[in-house]
Amino acid sequence: MSVVTEGTADAARTAASGETILSVNDLVVEFPRPGQPTDFRAVNGVSFDLRQGETLGLVGESGSGKSMTALSLLGIVPAPGKIIEGSINLRDRRIDNLPVNELRKVRGNDIGMVFQDPMTGLNPVRSIGSQLTESVLRHQDVSKQEAIELAFHALDDVGIPSARERLEGFPHELSGGLRQRVMIALALINHPEVIIADEATTALDATIQAQILDLLRERLSSATMILITHDMGVAAEICDRIMVMYAGRIVETGTIEEVLTSPRHPYTVGLLSAVPKFDIRRPKLVPIPGIPPTAEDIVRGCPFAPRCRFAETDCDQRPPLEYAEDRLVACWHPRLASERKK
Amino acid sequence: MTDIADNNKPASQPIETEKNDAETIPVAKQTAQTLTKRILELLFLLMFISTLLFFLLRLTGDPAAVLAGETGDQEQLELIRKQYGLDKPLIVQYGVFLYKLVQLDFGSSLANAQDALGLVFERLPTSFTLVIIAFTANLIISIPLGAWLGSRPDRTGRKLAATAVFVAQGIPGYITGLLLIQLFSVELGWLPSIGNQGILSWIMPATTLAAFQAPQVVRVISANVAEAMREDYIRTARANGAGFNTLLWRHALKNAMLGATALIGAQVSFLVGGSIITEVIFAWPGLGRLLVTSVQTLDFPVVQAAVFMIAIFVYFAITLTDIVFLFIDPRLRRQRA
Ligand SMILES: Nc1ncnc2c1ncn2[C@@H]1O[C@H](COP(=O)(O)OP(=O)(O)OP(=O)(O)O)[C@@H](O)[C@H]1O
Ligand SMILES: [Mg+2]
Repeated sequence: MSVVTEGTADAARTAASGETILSVNDLVVEFPRPGQPTDFRAVNGVSFDLRQGETLGLVGESGSGKSMTALSLLGIVPAPGKIIEGSINLRDRRIDNLPVNELRKVRGNDIGMVFQDPMTGLNPVRSIGSQLTESVLRHQDVSKQEAIELAFHALDDVGIPSARERLEGFPHELSGGLRQRVMIALALINHPEVIIADEATTALDATIQAQILDLLRERLSSATMILITHDMGVAAEICDRIMVMYAGRIVETGTIEEVLTSPRHPYTVGLLSAVPKFDIRRPKLVPIPGIPPTAEDIVRGCPFAPRCRFAETDCDQRPPLEYAEDRLVACWHPRLASERKK
Repeated sequence: MTDIADNNKPASQPIETEKNDAETIPVAKQTAQTLTKRILELLFLLMFISTLLFFLLRLTGDPAAVLAGETGDQEQLELIRKQYGLDKPLIVQYGVFLYKLVQLDFGSSLANAQDALGLVFERLPTSFTLVIIAFTANLIISIPLGAWLGSRPDRTGRKLAATAVFVAQGIPGYITGLLLIQLFSVELGWLPSIGNQGILSWIMPATTLAAFQAPQVVRVISANVAEAMREDYIRTARANGAGFNTLLWRHALKNAMLGATALIGAQVSFLVGGSIITEVIFAWPGLGRLLVTSVQTLDFPVVQAAVFMIAIFVYFAITLTDIVFLFIDPRLRRQRA
């Protein structure tokens, strides 16, 4: 590993096993702000690679742009937001500028997504079976009957009891945990290469949350996955690598052990401050004093500087995501292992 | 989240079970229950309306005087009263009325001695022709239009159309009717303006009714579709590759129809009982106009029979709405414990 690499996109590709499946370069997602001089960048120059079989954790405070990053990958950023810069490659194919008909073939077929709220994520007036088969028939060349069989197996595989009868049933007949299993079945039914789980367990109570995590781990241990979470404990449990986002940027990325045991960015330090010895029994992120920049703030320099204990005058320049010792960090004053020993 | 680190056993069997233990009741059974309930309610309602009408009609005028005409003298009046049982005490008249009512005998028209209920039945096909055409036209226009308007309410074309619909909603039915007559009958001479003279004569009254009702449906559907398009399940479907048409017609519209069904049901009730003004404008020989004429002439057997029939149809429309709800909203199919 080099010490400092120019160009964030290249830098993000740390050496690791597995071929690169998804590659995101300098992604910018913007929401227009009528009457304001600048638009709001929910995602502001995000680059990362996702390798085969890897589970990449995406953590950060609410509003940091995690969901928008995920939605960009599928090209479903809600209007009026849109991707204005950057590129997304799925294997060798650029997918961010595909015509919508081509993009629709990617959605649910190459990249599957599980959303946070299972209570509202399924259509209440359509049977569970019809929602599953709709997706199967769109992406696979199978008969109606075969699609129903596939839907049955998809439900069965995620541990839904009496899956056959459930096909005829409706979402309201199921508990939250079972509905989330249906959502997972829906995301997996066309065997996408990449799975994105956006806070897939946040809305569930603790027991069910653990069950769903077990399911994800069991079903997706070899899958390529992006796991968005607020929960460092969850990230520690299933992620190989972790990316910390702040104000639309990636501020630190490394393997899960690296980041948890020796966070470099002051923001990551803050996130982990109450869990110094990586105590996963403290599931929630501990609040950091201050608030992240909002859409109204025009941020120059380091967006975390106003809340940062270590901020100095040079923090009014924007720090690039670069290697500090062995870790990619966007900070002028990273908490280096060598310094800490002093 | 307790100790997931220690939890090394393989993915456990789901502990969660179904939310409710209550079994889903078959739609057919719930339909039957709804029907039974509605029929009982209807019987009470009919009883109540008939009683009310009986007394109201006798308070507002003297049928004998109407029958005798302007020239009738006292002797004639007595004779008529006797003939129609109007000389008996009111309570006795009421008893006789009820006794005949349960046999569906409303008596004969005071105007032409025809059977009152028969007169009403004669008018039904004409009225229903109008109702069915207007209702169908209404839905054929307003469901797609509402869905289209609600699918992208921020687009300029749709904003203009939505404004037009809003304005249209404010136009009273009789104005539409009179404008149509002026244009197509008086100026152009294309369409007959009165009576039931075949298909051409159906166009204007049906249009009048539909033009009055469609804007309401369009607005409800478009508002509901717009709301539905922002729902999480739309995002889920989109994330699975659903295109705009699938999102709109297969996901959003079905939910939007839930909110519109009550309105559409109410509109059907209005049509069967209340297309009175339209029937009068176009001299349409339907139930509404029969009702108006018989009220004017205090022809109370006919009024009674007409109101009785309208009440039945309104109730029928309401019941049908309930049953339609059962079919389109699966959440209603479960019995509340
Ligand atoms: N429709 C919108 N219009 C304007 N800004 C929006 C819109 N949707 C999202 N944003 C902004 O985009 C930013 C990133 O949102 P995003 O949903 O990606 O955050 P997140 O990291 O997923 O947060 P959470 O943990 O709460 O899910 C937020 O600051 C939000 O205010
Ligand atoms: Mg989010």
